[in-house]
Amino acid sequence: MKQQKRPLWQPPWQYKESALLVCGVLVAGFALQLTLGHFNFFLLHYPANAIAAGGLALLLALCALARKNAVILWLSGIPFCVSLMAALLCFSLVMGLTPQAARVDPHAHNLFSDLGFSMVTASWPFVLLYALTLVSLGLVIMRRLAAFRKKDIGFYCNHLGLWILLLAAGLGATDMQRFVMYVREGEVEWRVYSRNNDVFELPIAVRLHDFSMEEYPPKLVIINRENGKPQPEDRPFYFQIDPKRPTGALGDWTVVLDEYIHEAVRGGDGYKASPMPASTPAARVTVTNTRTGATKTGWVCGGGTIPEFFSGLPLDGELTVVMTQPEPKRFVSDITVLTKEGMKKDARLEVNKPLSLGPWMLYQYGYDNQAGKMSAYSGIELVRDAWLWPAYAGIFLMIAGSVWLIWAGTGKRREDQ
Amino acid sequence: MTWDNFICLALPAALCWIFAGLAALRDKKPWIVNGLMITGIILFAVFIAGLWIGLERPPLRTMGETRLWYSFFLALIGYLTYRHWKYPWLLLFSAVVASVFIGVNLFKPEIHSKALMPALQSYYFVPHVTVYILSYAMLGVATIASGLQLRNMARGHTDRHLYAFMDNIVYIGFGFLALGMLSGALWAKEAWGHYWSWDPKETWAFITGAAYLVYIHMRLRRAHPKFTLWALPVAFVLLMITWLGVTYLPSAQGSIHVYS
Repeated sequence: MKQQKRPLWQPPWQYKESALLVCGVLVAGFALQLTLGHFNFFLLHYPANAIAAGGLALLLALCALARKNAVILWLSGIPFCVSLMAALLCFSLVMGLTPQAARVDPHAHNLFSDLGFSMVTASWPFVLLYALTLVSLGLVIMRRLAAFRKKDIGFYCNHLGLWILLLAAGLGATDMQRFVMYVREGEVEWRVYSRNNDVFELPIAVRLHDFSMEEYPPKLVIINRENGKPQPEDRPFYFQIDPKRPTGALGDWTVVLDEYIHEAVRGGDGYKASPMPASTPAARVTVTNTRTGATKTGWVCGGGTIPEFFSGLPLDGELTVVMTQPEPKRFVSDITVLTKEGMKKDARLEVNKPLSLGPWMLYQYGYDNQAGKMSAYSGIELVRDAWLWPAYAGIFLMIAGSVWLIWAGTGKRREDQ
Repeated sequence: MTWDNFICLALPAALCWIFAGLAALRDKKPWIVNGLMITGIILFAVFIAGLWIGLERPPLRTMGETRLWYSFFLALIGYLTYRHWKYPWLLLFSAVVASVFIGVNLFKPEIHSKALMPALQSYYFVPHVTVYILSYAMLGVATIASGLQLRNMARGHTDRHLYAFMDNIVYIGFGFLALGMLSGALWAKEAWGHYWSWDPKETWAFITGAAYLVYIHMRLRRAHPKFTLWALPVAFVLLMITWLGVTYLPSAQGSIHVYS
């Protein structure tokens, strides 16, 4: 028996109607984008975003009262949710395939950027999709909460968690403050730079007692003295210095590490260990050409910040063994943080180990890359996100929901289909 | 142990897995299948443990090392799901894909330095990568299952049990995928100051997640079954781009997720 085809817009509405509504919203979004330009997130500054969040929650609660309404059922239903996700997927594909601008370029005028694709997250169609997602997701949560079932606990964790996270991440984005502070060793600093390089003064000050860095042992490489390029040019060989494995090879040359000093200074004919600020790795190596048997022995040192410390080991008329710049293992800022309210805290800031003080989070951000461990200053990032705890609540709900997915899978609900 | 010992342990492991897969497909005695599979997994685990000790850090930093875990978990989970669902093709598939990754490491070795950059020195590192690899293995298997179901559909009869299996493994795989993203978000807050920055790798993780959500939600209704089945291979391609392809995209030239 052949099913009769359901005419468009005859209830119950399905995928076609859902796709049409999403397309309609996108057309409206593009129209707004072309006339108004990018969405102005400053409109959502506190308390506007809190009011919007409260209003949305209230609206959803009211809709829960009319949860049997056909339109509400449709807006919170599968076809509409799938259509929204597909649209979000398409927009994020644009984001994932094309370089995205960090801020609006007022001089860029082509169809691509006029339609908002050069900064998707701030474009009207994307913002409308985000709002519609909050509504649809919120409605389905309300509908299912109104008919509460214990076995839906995984559903609640995943959907409510995502809704809270989306709300906090989106509406809270404008309230987020991020600055970078550069503090010199021994000094106190309270001036910071914004992303646009504007200078601000914060009610929080940082004193840098010491910036220190540990480095990994560097690598050895053969370069061509004429152009300085590592050899062979298409795919250079590197010998990782490791006192536990003192032998290796650099192409046709075998390498034996005779001596390695991690913190060395130049002294006499060679190098000697000295834990000074300017000290730098140095290695005495013996290299032998496997074809000719030619052997060379000598010191190799990258020099660090002192050019006189540099030493290469010439192999022949054009090739020399040199040392790469050591990679950082860890870098630490020993600081004291002071606030206007009189709070004081000592800390050692490291990558992956931020400091939390009141509403602020402080991060080890950078240092003088040229000077390396001799850097006289430390870059510290200060972040304040008033919406962080709701976002975390959403994340932890979703973690619980994910564990439930792994544990229960689909459950047995389709066994009887 | 170093990468120099890789061939001695990985090659026998790969052979064990492939013969176990073939034995399962030929309906050989269970002890042969189980014995070969477990031997292969143990051999491979010994190499990973040895490399871990040799490197003095978990081997989870480079693409080569990521492939190592992919092979391991593909073999392990392929075997466990085979034990649970009794699909012999699943075992052979897992064995072959795990061996392909071993082959990539053998023929295109990326022998890297021991250095682990400060941004990666975090207790989120191992769980973040491990749950992703678990999910990749699950979702890889689901992709093959969707291919088989599409073939069934072309022949006019879909397999109800295969559907149940696919949905289940997508749920589990998506659970791991979500854990990877969420642990990544918590880690990002600690390392970079914000839990989500639309970094290209994050954008692609979002794309991948959305694609699997399309499948999961469409399966709740019976409409458009062919489109629904095709969502899995498409999602897996997106997953592969997220995992391997992002580094090469023009959009990712400033990405903080490109390591080596």
